[in-house]
Amino acid sequence: MPGRHSRRSVLAAMAAVPLTGAVSACSGGDGASSARTGTTTRVTFWSALRGSQEVVDAFNRTHRTVQVDFQQIPSGGQGGYAKLSNAARAGNAPDIATLEYPQVPGFAIDGVARDLTDLVSDGLRRRLLPQALGLTTFERRVFAVPLDVEPMVMHYRADLFGHYGLRPARTWDEFAEQAARVHREAPDRRLVLFPTDGMTQFACYAWQAGAQWFDTSKGAWNVSLADAPSRRVADYWQRLIDRDDVFMNAVESRQADAQIGNGLVLTRLSGAWDAGAQMNARPGQKGQWRIAPLPQWDTGSPSVGTHGGSTFAVTEDSEHPEAAMEFIEWQVSHPDALRARLSSGASSQYPAAPGLVPVGSEAFDRSYYGGQDIYALFDREAQKIGEQWLWGPRMSATQKVMQDSFARVGGGQGSLVESLRAAQEGTMPDLRALGLSTTQHST
Amino acid sequence: MNTTTTTHTRVPAGTPRAASPAPSASGLRARRAARRRQLTAAGVLMTPFFALLVTVFLIPVGTAVYLSFFSDDQPGLGFGPERQVFVGLRSYAAVLTDPTFLGGLGTVALYCLIYLPLMVLGALALALLLDSGVVRLRALAQLGLFLPHAVPGIIAALIWLYLYTPGISPVIELFAKGDITVDFLGVHTVVPSIVNIALWSNLGYNMVVFYAALQAVPREVIEASVVDGAGPVRTALQVKTPLVRASIVMVSIFTLIWALQLFTEPMLLSQSSPMISSRFSPSMYIYDAAFTRNNYGLAAAASVVLLVCTIALSYGVTRFTGRADSEEVR
Repeated sequence: MPGRHSRRSVLAAMAAVPLTGAVSACSGGDGASSARTGTTTRVTFWSALRGSQEVVDAFNRTHRTVQVDFQQIPSGGQGGYAKLSNAARAGNAPDIATLEYPQVPGFAIDGVARDLTDLVSDGLRRRLLPQALGLTTFERRVFAVPLDVEPMVMHYRADLFGHYGLRPARTWDEFAEQAARVHREAPDRRLVLFPTDGMTQFACYAWQAGAQWFDTSKGAWNVSLADAPSRRVADYWQRLIDRDDVFMNAVESRQADAQIGNGLVLTRLSGAWDAGAQMNARPGQKGQWRIAPLPQWDTGSPSVGTHGGSTFAVTEDSEHPEAAMEFIEWQVSHPDALRARLSSGASSQYPAAPGLVPVGSEAFDRSYYGGQDIYALFDREAQKIGEQWLWGPRMSATQKVMQDSFARVGGGQGSLVESLRAAQEGTMPDLRALGLSTTQHST
Repeated sequence: MNTTTTTHTRVPAGTPRAASPAPSASGLRARRAARRRQLTAAGVLMTPFFALLVTVFLIPVGTAVYLSFFSDDQPGLGFGPERQVFVGLRSYAAVLTDPTFLGGLGTVALYCLIYLPLMVLGALALALLLDSGVVRLRALAQLGLFLPHAVPGIIAALIWLYLYTPGISPVIELFAKGDITVDFLGVHTVVPSIVNIALWSNLGYNMVVFYAALQAVPREVIEASVVDGAGPVRTALQVKTPLVRASIVMVSIFTLIWALQLFTEPMLLSQSSPMISSRFSPSMYIYDAAFTRNNYGLAAAASVVLLVCTIALSYGVTRFTGRADSEEVR
């Protein structure tokens, strides 16, 4: 049985799973007719995002032809992505899945995410930030619809900044000076943490500096994780690490929680979403934090990368792609969807449809940030998102290799530039074994 | 496997020859019937073995080999329709040029170099000590040494994870009181730390194997050596040890095969040590390739490479010791 599902079927047969996947093995964008008049089409939706249940409830209350069955799954790193690819292999994937941006190309190549080009209406296309849609579009085909896009910003402790007489740095040089100063004046405090589990943060720094880790413009995957802008960023952070001017440990750890909770670290460099996450995690620090734009390399032509953000994909196996798309469109662009999501707790996500910003801004309690209009700031920063960036076909693997190497740098072995090279070398065999055309030109 | 087959075929072959030399028609028929019954019995008795051999060994190996040579390819960037193609040695080339896989092989080689001699010599030394009779409370000592083997690998790794993790480990705390800083999960200590877990788990088991072999050594031989004036050390090293050579070879091969498949301990320790990467050993590489990278061609090729290495090394050990044996006989 040659074709799309052959490997999937072999594995499914081995696992003695009924071959339902092979039955629905039609490919292409002409999905099974869904909107049967007079009946209700049911679609299934998997997500790890907070507030998804509320969104689904709101949708089901207001819609009659399409009803959504929601299932909360673990987040990607906790097994959510493995669950999705296993389900797709066994032929029982949901109609709609949630993917973070770095995962989109991989799931598209594996034939899990469906080509949505013909299903995305022009109206929806116009409402989405072009940089966000650009991250889910390959060979001019759209494989997922962005929900939020998160420009990286600098969250800082206004009280401690005042204490040490600091102002938010406008350039990275200034930022490095401040790091040295904080280290000198308060030996147990640091300006910032370099996360050893932070490929996504590092990618965002490199993105801002103009790096292009993956490029498909020449019809092949060009991989250059250690291009000139990335090396510049790596050297910059290496200096800070060598001088012990920054903390170096995992950010997803109790240690990092303690560093933030005890006021040992003065800034957090992360996506816009982290403002809401901080409010939920540490209500006691109310009023101490403010948010500023990320420092720049060149203040003349400012740029930022994104850190975080999610998209929705319709799976190849879905029998009701139109119905699935109706729910997705509502979810990413209707004010009621955002209101429902925000009802589950504080959230500061920056919607990929900027038309929804007033809804988010209105619902957001500004008192935690001393009355600062953070959405106005996010709005300005989102416009600066660099357009050159693409994620690669196997980002989880690239991420693991890079972070394993970062961790060794934290243990005093190797350097950040070597980590980039290790990630490059650990990524190429994967892409080659998948049969993709690859090149390794670098600047 | 070979021994089972030969004994089963030899028995029916011998019986007809014992019957009358001038076969009558009915005798022939009876003999055929007897032979058929025996073949049926042999077939019934061997079926479970072959059924399991086929389902849990030959089919998976065949599938792995197949997956390593064929792939559902999409040309170019990979977003086009898939088509199944024969990819030749592409997956093997990818595996063998992957520095993370080669690094894993290097790690396992280092692990074997430390683990194998320690395990075989350690278990043998303990067995010789127990056999020599200098040990009091022999049964208790045996039980104490064997007990860790009854602990599943994953539990063992958890116990040691507790002892290795800074902040909760009483051992590290004890060292700290003496002003000694130890990091069991550091860059250079992580492989010895894993070796330690494996030794703790398996030393007792292999000691029992050696001890059982030593029990079979004829007492006259030992007495003869004592009469000839050999001390206990000399008896142990030059009389007993050569006589349990077959067990040493067997334990070496099993330990080697077990060590090459290193997985559980580093997998669990990787949770708390960044020094253990997701592709630390070849087995972890295979797991990672299949389940986080969804790259079955790569995982299959890596599995076949590991299988070939294991077979080659086992064969090498057998061959090497076999030659040494035959030279000794001469």
